[in-house]
Amino acid sequence: MIATLRNGFQRIADRIGAVWQSIWFQDGPTTPLEISRIGIGVALLVHYLFATPYLLTFWGDDGWMPRASLAEEYDAWAQSILFYLTAPWQLYVFHALFLACCVAFTLGWRTRWVKWAVLIGQISYDNRNPDMYYGVDSILACLLLILCFAPIGSALSLDRVREVRAAKLADLGAHPRRFSSPWAFACTRLMQIQMAVLFFYSAVGKVKGDQWMSGEAVWRVFASADYYNEFMLRILASNFWVVNVATYAVILIELAFPFMVWQRSSRPYLLAGAIFLHLQFALLMNLYYFSFVMMMGHMSFLFPQWLQRLGAAWKWRIGPMEMIYDGHCGFCKRSMAGFLAFDGLRQIQIRDFRTDPSDIVSDEQMKKALYLVLPDKRALPGFEAYRYVVLRVPGLWWMIPLFYIPIFSRLLGHPIYNWIAANRSRL
Amino acid sequence: MQQANRRGYRRLTYVAMSVLVAWHTFAMVIAPAPDSPVTEAARDLAQPYLTFFGLQHPWDFFAPTVGTGYRLSYVIEDAAGGKHTFRPGDRLNNLQPTAIWMKDHYNVIMTNSEKYGDAAGAAVCLEHASLNPVSVTLQEIQQDEFWPRDWLNGKRPTDAEFSEVKTLRTVTCPGR
Repeated sequence: MIATLRNGFQRIADRIGAVWQSIWFQDGPTTPLEISRIGIGVALLVHYLFATPYLLTFWGDDGWMPRASLAEEYDAWAQSILFYLTAPWQLYVFHALFLACCVAFTLGWRTRWVKWAVLIGQISYDNRNPDMYYGVDSILACLLLILCFAPIGSALSLDRVREVRAAKLADLGAHPRRFSSPWAFACTRLMQIQMAVLFFYSAVGKVKGDQWMSGEAVWRVFASADYYNEFMLRILASNFWVVNVATYAVILIELAFPFMVWQRSSRPYLLAGAIFLHLQFALLMNLYYFSFVMMMGHMSFLFPQWLQRLGAAWKWRIGPMEMIYDGHCGFCKRSMAGFLAFDGLRQIQIRDFRTDPSDIVSDEQMKKALYLVLPDKRALPGFEAYRYVVLRVPGLWWMIPLFYIPIFSRLLGHPIYNWIAANRSRL
Repeated sequence: MQQANRRGYRRLTYVAMSVLVAWHTFAMVIAPAPDSPVTEAARDLAQPYLTFFGLQHPWDFFAPTVGTGYRLSYVIEDAAGGKHTFRPGDRLNNLQPTAIWMKDHYNVIMTNSEKYGDAAGAAVCLEHASLNPVSVTLQEIQQDEFWPRDWLNGKRPTDAEFSEVKTLRTVTCPGR
């Protein structure tokens, strides 16, 4: 009897464990979170960069919120590093460090610790002047904390580039395994739940309001002092049905989102609806910062397979590219390792002409420069090879300005490349 | 032995991860929940965590009602007795992220003019020193309801008939 009961409980516990595991701990990549990281990093950087001229006004002792006023609302749990900075120069140093951390966070450089620095900085600004606290600051804090929990920096980051480069320095053909882990999946799930909870409570709040239920709320938004939009009022005044449709559509999207975004078949529609909604907030209500941060939160709903398919489609469109290099040249191998580390989609194949000569490019040609062979058998030498690649490998797009400045890039690029190629044995 | 240790470590990690996700989900759900004895008790439990990381928000954007809104205005009286009216919100560039903070600041001045009015008035005196200001009167312009028929009759929400001016405080400029 006891053994039967024990077996029954064991089966139930196993079943619960399996469900728990499938909800939280499947193996997953960090890529959706990395997209959120990059977007949130850019948003924070731009936002706080614009605040620089007002630094002392917003957060200084002689500004809008002297610390003495803050003491009246003191909460021991609401901490801020800025409570302990007294001189203006200290505030400027803090701000400069915070901006530097935002840059590092966006690029994914030393992400493991820099993400915490960004979170602490953001919370410090919020708590130093709570009167300036706005909905988007809360959203940012929620998303940043989840990103801090997550093992971000494992993809689409300089940390990943460093890891791949190190592996390629040992063996140019090496392809370090793409990172994925149950914890990355759990953190992605946390961000998804955060967004769903936000939409749910936002919808519930609206359903309670007469203005929303009578279908007139959208008119009120554009007629209000804060979001007055003459263009919209002109259209809506003579087409009030649009107001009704828009009001109910907002409720419908916000209410459907937390329930229907989980299913594979309905997710694309709900995600498109949510993004559309936030684009409207940005364009018609000037809520750019809020909308952008929300959209970055929604990136957690991207299926990794979608991103893989997108990458595969890009790779297919561009076609294979083969870089032929001199395997006897240490500098060539080192620079190739650095270059290939940015090729996250693995679009570039490599060939060492010393061990594996090419049918298309002769050894004599190869001794003068690196070559890129395209699917149509065209061979581009040296600078032109790099110029072709940087436009077609997304990880190298940051180099486009260097290689595509009209006239100057080619004018300077060719002699620089030729000099390096001629002196490569000494570098 | 080593394998058993590794298995034990893995199980401990799994439990720790499970506790963290469960706790954080609980905090996310309870933070914006409507007030009730149950949710308040639960929120009390999570409050230090919510406050410490700044996670507390009701997520009630434009709900349950959309306010008509109000704007800050101020009237500067110069030494010659002339009056100059300004609406600082009209000068904000909405493309600049700082506009949000400025609007928040103006709202704070209006909702708590006793606390912030003097400092705001002094700042305004300084900003408009070229006018030789004697005093600043802070005002709140409360917007009234505006409907499509008003628009079709050629009126605008910013017209005087759709707003109510409330004087908040008059501040004498420092040194006067």
